[in-house]
Amino acid sequence: MKIIVHRERCQGHARCWALAPDIFDLDDEGFVVSGNIDVNPQDEDRAWRAAKSCPERALTVEK
Amino acid sequence: MERLPEHVPQELVTGFSLYSSPEMVPTPMGDPQAAAAKALLAGPPIVYTPLATRDGVGAWVITRAEDQRRILQDGVTFSSFRNTFSAAIGESWPLIPLEIDPPDHSAWRSLLNPLLSPRRVVALEGQVRARAVELIEGIKARGTECDVMTDFAFPFAVNIFLQFLGIPDDRLMEFVGWANDMLHSTPEARTAAAHKVLGFLDDLADLRRREPTDDFMTFVLDADIFGRKMTPHEVRAMSILLFIGGLDTVAAAIGFDLYHLARFPADQSDLRRNPEKILLAAEEFLRAYATITPLRTVTADVEVNGVLMKKGDIVSCPSMVANRDPMEFPNPEKIDLQREDNRHTAFAYGPHRCLGSHLARREIVVGLEEFLARIPAFRIKPGTTPMTFGGYVFGVENLILDWSA
Repeated sequence: MKIIVHRERCQGHARCWALAPDIFDLDDEGFVVSGNIDVNPQDEDRAWRAAKSCPERALTVEK
Repeated sequence: MERLPEHVPQELVTGFSLYSSPEMVPTPMGDPQAAAAKALLAGPPIVYTPLATRDGVGAWVITRAEDQRRILQDGVTFSSFRNTFSAAIGESWPLIPLEIDPPDHSAWRSLLNPLLSPRRVVALEGQVRARAVELIEGIKARGTECDVMTDFAFPFAVNIFLQFLGIPDDRLMEFVGWANDMLHSTPEARTAAAHKVLGFLDDLADLRRREPTDDFMTFVLDADIFGRKMTPHEVRAMSILLFIGGLDTVAAAIGFDLYHLARFPADQSDLRRNPEKILLAAEEFLRAYATITPLRTVTADVEVNGVLMKKGDIVSCPSMVANRDPMEFPNPEKIDLQREDNRHTAFAYGPHRCLGSHLARREIVVGLEEFLARIPAFRIKPGTTPMTFGGYVFGVENLILDWSA
């Protein structure tokens, strides 16, 4: 599973980081770090939840 | 009341107003978020109300989450420029950065974001918790009841804010009064309070110019923006926004959360027994009891969800309504303290996402954790009646809790 990070849509709510800080990294301003994320099979549930919790829909899941 | 603009179709005009409709005016034991959502979600996705602000200006009301997201994400077509504060003193300038549009807006946010980033807030947690404990232990020592807003929610939020600004808290209740007058009072009281706050912040800036220290005001005075220092006017326009933003909203959120827990004992005992659930529950409370309504001004004619909006029209995005949109949240009327995928808009969408949201969340979570850990099972004191209201910032007053045996 892969998380597509639409960095230009991120507004720094940081819900992804709150739910899965080991999967999503933030910069000093609190925005998600650019670049898509390859998710380990054991982390898929948490990554999916975190992506779904983004109010801006800045994270999409690609199977 | 102004005349209806010609391009507004009569069938989209609603009589509902966040300011004057039933349950929006002070109401005994009301549920203003549910009432606003019920009234507006029953109608078309976008309606027009002739009474959209406390000053009686007409506006489009965007009721669905998807449309609010689109509008609030597009700061070019939907300008955030206003003069909310300065109008009270007969001037017209924007609060920084809330009422500044792109592209300048992002420079201001880049300056401020690191001060209130999620990681920075983790570092502030100890102070936040110490304040909560101190206030709650004081309440316990005084007896078996408290007025949530005046004994806890306001002093807590104001105290954290003053600490953030680097101000001693001996003038705490004075600040609470100013904030209350600015947000909820008559135009005359609003003007008087606005002058007092300005005077206070100007004095603080002068003091920190002479005696810099490690606090927010010193940071502001030192900061570079657009390759220069801030003007005294910019220092004002930014400090005032933090003052307004940090006080009323956090206190209102804590008030609504404790009001919910007093009315629904099963939820109260669940969180009491399982404090680890508070983190997720706080998100559901933010969804269900959101208090703010962002306003925007249309900068060029645009169609949204089949409705033509013209340049100059005002657009209102009540967060508590989008937060109960069934297209966004399954079973939105159910307040489910363990709701997942809770992408609510309590802090708005788009570039103006609440700068203080991470600190606000911490205050709410820590406030609930310590309140539930230290105060026994509580209820609304028999014979007393909390009053709820809608408007500019939704709120609850006279919330007296009682835990006598």
